[in-house]
Order: sequence, then structure tokens, then C-alpha cells
Amino acid sequence: MRRFRTILGFELRGYFTNKVFVAVTVVLVVAIAAVLFFPRASALVTDIFGDDAADGTEEGDESEEINRDELPLMLVSAPDDIESTVIDSFSSAFLNYNVKPADTDDVDAIKKSVSDGDAECAFVLGSMTSYTYYSTTNSLFDSNTMVADETLRSLAMVSEMMSAGISPEEAGSILATVIESETVTLGASGDGDLSGGVDFISSLIYTYIMVYALYIVILVYGQMVATSVATEKSSRAMELLVTSTDPVSMMFGKVFAACIAGLTQIAAVFGTALVCFAVNEPWWGDNMVVRSIFDMPLSLLLYMLLFFLLGFLVFAFMFGAIGSTVSKLEELNTASMPVVLIFVVGLMVVVFGMSSGNIDSTVMRVFSYIPFTSPMAMFTRIAMGSVPAYEIAISVAILSVSVFIIGYVSAKIYRIGVLLYGTPPKPSAIIKALRRA
Amino acid sequence: MKLEFCGIKKSFGEKLVLDGVSFSAESGSAFGLLGRNGAGKTTSIRILMNVFPADGGQILLDGAPIDYKKVGFGYLPEERGLYPKKKIFDQLVYFAELHGMKRQDAASSVDSWLRRLGMAEYRDKRLDTLSKGNQQKIQLITALAHDPDIVILDEPFSGLDPVNARLLKDVVREVIGNGCLVIFSSHQMNYIEEFCDTIAILHGGNVVLSGDLGEIKHSYPRNRLTVRSRELERMRAALPPDVTFEADGDGGSATLTLPSPDRKAELMSALTRSFDIDEIAVKEPSLNDIFVEYAS
Repeated sequence: MRRFRTILGFELRGYFTNKVFVAVTVVLVVAIAAVLFFPRASALVTDIFGDDAADGTEEGDESEEINRDELPLMLVSAPDDIESTVIDSFSSAFLNYNVKPADTDDVDAIKKSVSDGDAECAFVLGSMTSYTYYSTTNSLFDSNTMVADETLRSLAMVSEMMSAGISPEEAGSILATVIESETVTLGASGDGDLSGGVDFISSLIYTYIMVYALYIVILVYGQMVATSVATEKSSRAMELLVTSTDPVSMMFGKVFAACIAGLTQIAAVFGTALVCFAVNEPWWGDNMVVRSIFDMPLSLLLYMLLFFLLGFLVFAFMFGAIGSTVSKLEELNTASMPVVLIFVVGLMVVVFGMSSGNIDSTVMRVFSYIPFTSPMAMFTRIAMGSVPAYEIAISVAILSVSVFIIGYVSAKIYRIGVLLYGTPPKPSAIIKALRRA
Repeated sequence: MKLEFCGIKKSFGEKLVLDGVSFSAESGSAFGLLGRNGAGKTTSIRILMNVFPADGGQILLDGAPIDYKKVGFGYLPEERGLYPKKKIFDQLVYFAELHGMKRQDAASSVDSWLRRLGMAEYRDKRLDTLSKGNQQKIQLITALAHDPDIVILDEPFSGLDPVNARLLKDVVREVIGNGCLVIFSSHQMNYIEEFCDTIAILHGGNVVLSGDLGEIKHSYPRNRLTVRSRELERMRAALPPDVTFEADGDGGSATLTLPSPDRKAELMSALTRSFDIDEIAVKEPSLNDIFVEYAS
């Protein structure tokens, strides 16, 4: 036990004095803080900038005029009888454009001013219900035609209603009819609370983030364990280590050190995020995406911690055993390929399950019991759906037992592997040696 | 403290590496474990240090099976290697702690060894910034800093310049003098001859020769004389016909072989009377000769 503590301490000092480790953590923390402080900072900058603008001009309207002129130009050409109505409606619909009537009815001249870049886009209306849209970009995010459709449909409806003898006010209130609705998602949320349910979209976002965090941290730190073992072997420090201490202490010391280092990094990043969000909450206003991430239930964080610990231990032990079978660092990538592949397949299935919306499919159910994939699969099912408590218990139990079995077998492989040099042993040779050990 | 290997057997898969190895060594002296490459020296050492168990036989310490919780080992492996990217002091303390020392004791012991070997200035440097010989001295500290009962030195002198070799010799003598049991494994027979009182030669998984080195040498037929003189040619002509004359490589000395050791005193006095002799002695086999004889 004392040796375990000595090894744990030595390995931890190794992580915390490693410049790369410290630098990555600091960069991540600073980046997260920068993102979360951004709205506040930009509001501050706008305030200062806005004050300057107000000082420079005497009337607020004028500054709005100036701002409006700076916007991209949108030309609108319409039959004379409806032109002013259309221009007014478009001006209020397209707030990001400087909407101007076209000087000419000549379509070619309008097209030319768009293609020359004088105007960013142009609408040429044949009537209230038909138009041609000219633009140099046809981007996925160009929603101008949708806005125009909506605006024109309203105009057409109002004019129809008016011709049917309905007053403009009545027409306006008919069009402004609001449907009140409420969506209630039924089902168990992570903590078994049946009343609230889990909102699919917001849970999708934070589950994505957390599953990827699990994936990255387990893989990165697992590989670190493998590298650390392989380095000791290739530098022959192993010769001395195996005669100084027992392989179980060595393996467990290394794995737990990596685990603590990983947790520290997660805690630093997530902690910074939580604190920065709490400080800046008012500035994020009603940004649903960001809010949904930080509204994640506490129980889910605890599940994440649990599955990170168990999943990490399973993979770190395997990586440690793999590290012990190679003689040189260069061989490590090839040797660890099978384990990495298992993990990647797990991630893919989980991500497909998430995006398909069917997170309780048979594959996901099966994967949430297999110890190599259950950390991600079961976590996703808990986060995004309703999983009975007994299923969670079974999954966690299988995973915990696997940790012990894999830890035990890995320590045995380690004991044999560390003294083997030359070509990495075939799996069959390892199994034979394990039987003898 | 007496260490005994009693019929140790070990095989890896189908390959029999040790086939009943037995020898004994005592503290306060050095023991030489010799053998050609692949003879089973490293396997014996690893079994002794409990890296893996023997298939058969046992290791006794003072007559009782060895208790690994009580005996401290210091090991200088033939394949040297520590953590190249870590500070020297940190890793030395780490290894001493792994051997059961408390942190403060480990730190003060490491510091005193660094001073003893003239390495104090490198205390906070990274290992890979040191020359090969200096790295070897650091490695030696890992074998000695925790004050072990049994020290195993595998090829301790390889890669050392004469000055460092002398320093190491002094250290080894000091360690032996402190009552340590030192086990040497080396191909450099001159060092073994210099340090070891007892030896064992491993060959093909067996001990083919073991015991007190002086007695082993003495047990060889003492029918050969080594002579150094300027009058070798004149001497050769005057020798009795049953004495074989063999000039040594340097030209200044020769080996005389008698049919039996009985007449050697008579011949020695006759030669000393008749010729100008610089040196004459009964020729003992060198460890090198013995090794070649038994291990080939």
C-alpha cells in the first residue's frame, strides 16, 4: 500500500509538472472563460462604442439613419400600385438590410447592380404574389426568400381581406392570432423524476458534450498510461522497477494517477465553465443552447463522474497491459489499435443512436451492458431517455466487476509483458503465459 | 548472512533455463556469478529478487527460506536505464522510497551518495543531459542508496573510464566492508578476480564449478612455473628433456611445464642458481583460463 502511494505520488508529480499537461489545462480554462465572458465583453465594447456614437451626433434618429446606410443594400422593384406598401413591409421585415426601391424597372440594370456588388440582392416583383430574387450568393443560410414569402403572404391576405370588406385593424388582429402551446415531455429524467421529463433538444446538446468529453478524456489518459508504461520499458527503467516493487502496485499507481490527473483537468474545465457562466449569466440572456447546457441536472453530472471513473479504469488497465507488451514506443500505436477501435465503435453507435432519436434501440440496450461501451451508451440513455433504475444498477454492477477482472488480468499481463523484449508477443502466447502465471 | 541457492529450476515454455542451480555466498565478501551469454545468470538474479518464482528448489538465507519483506536488495542491471526526462534527485529518491525508505531518509541518503560519487552538481539536472559514465554512477546510486543487505551488480564496470572504475572499486570495497553480500556478474574476469572470494560458473543451466576462488586455483596441478629472465634462450638449452618450454607472447617470460609437481622446488632452486632470474613462481591458472575451460 505504501508503495502504491509512492508510485501514485511520483506519477502525479509527473503529470502536474509536465509542461504540456499544464499548458493544455490552462489553454482550455482560458478558452472556456473567454467564450463565456464574450457577451459581457462585447456588450461592454458596444456600450463604449455606442456612447461615442451618441456623443458624435446630436439626434438618435440620425445615427440610426447613418447605421441603416451602412447595411447591405437590398433593391426592390414592384408595380407602382403596390411599391410603397412592399418597401415599407420589407424595411420592417429585413432589419439587416438597407431596403431601397430600385431606380429603374429594367431587370438587366437591377441584375447588373447586384452582380457588380452595388447591391447585395434584389427582389423584382411581378405582382404581390410573384417575384424573382437576385443574389450573388446562394448560401445555405440565405433565408431572405422565406422572409419575403412570409411578408408578401401577409400583404396579400390583408389586401384580400380588405377587398372582402374587413377593416385593416380587424385584418391585423386576425393575422396576429397567437396560438398558445406548451410541450410536456413525459418519461423519467435521469433522477427518476417522472414529473418533469427531459427535453430532447437541450439534453441532446449537453449529452453530446459530455459523451465526447468522456470519449476524449478516457482515450487521451488511457493512451498516457500506455505511453508511460512503454517508456519505462523502452528506457529500461523497468528492469529496476520490477525488482523494486510489485506489478500490481505499479499498474494501479499509474492508472489511478492518470485518473486523478484526468479528473483534475475535467474539474478545472467544467468548474471554470460553471463559475464563468454563473458570473455572466445575465449577459447570456435567452441563449437557449448555452442555457440548456448549464441547466443540466446535477444527477447527470454525478452519473458522468461515475461512468468516467469506471470506464476510465477499464480502458486504462487495458492500455497499461498493452504498454507492457511492446518494446518500443513506435509499436504502441499498432498494439493499442484493437482497444481504440472498440472504443470508437462504441462512440459511433452512441452518436448514431443520439442523432436518430432512438436511444433505446436494441443495439443501444446491448451496448449499455457491455463494459467497454456501457460508460457512453448507458450514460446517453440516462441523459436522454428513461431508463429503469434496475437497468442502471445492472450496468454499473457489470462495469464494476469488469474493472476488477480487467485490473487483475492486466496486472498479470503486465508482470509477464514488462520483461519481454523483442517482437511483441502474440495474444495466444500471452494467454498461455497467463495460464501458467 | 549466508545465501544458498538449492536446486533452483526454471523453464520458459519449452526452454529449460536453470536445471537445479546450487551455490552459496556469504556477507562481508563478494560472490562472482559467471557464465556465457544466455547461461542463466539474469534468470538466477531475477529469481533471487523474486521477480518471478522458480519452478523448483529454494533459496535459503541463513538456513531459512528467504523472507522478501525483511531483505533489502540493491540491483544494478546490465541493461542500464532510468527515467531520461526526469530530474536525477527526484528519481533517485523515488527508487529509494520504493525500496521502503521514508522520504526524508531517502533524500538525505541520495544527497550523501551524490556527494560521495562527485555528482552533487547534477542533482537537479535531467538524466539525459549526463554523459554515459555519469549516468552509470547515478544508476549505481539506485542500487545502494536504500542501504540494502544484498547488492547485485551486473557488469558494473562496463562503460566506465579508469578514474570512475577506481571510484567504483572503492565504493564496492566499502560496501563489502559494511557487511553487505555483494554478487558480481561480469565478463570482465580481472574485476571478478580482484573482488570475489567465491565464484560459481553457470553453463547450460547448471553450475559447473563453484567454491572459493583461491582453492579452485590451488586445486589445479601445480606443475607449471612461470619465469621472467633475460637468459631465456640459454635456459631453454639447459633444461632437462622432460620439461616443456613455452615462450610467452611478450618474449621476456616463459612457462615451464614439468611432468609432475614433485620436482618443481628442485628445478626452481637450480634455475635461480644458474641463471639471472628476475622472477620465478608457480603458475596458477587465471580465472580467464578456468572460465574458458568450464564454460566452453
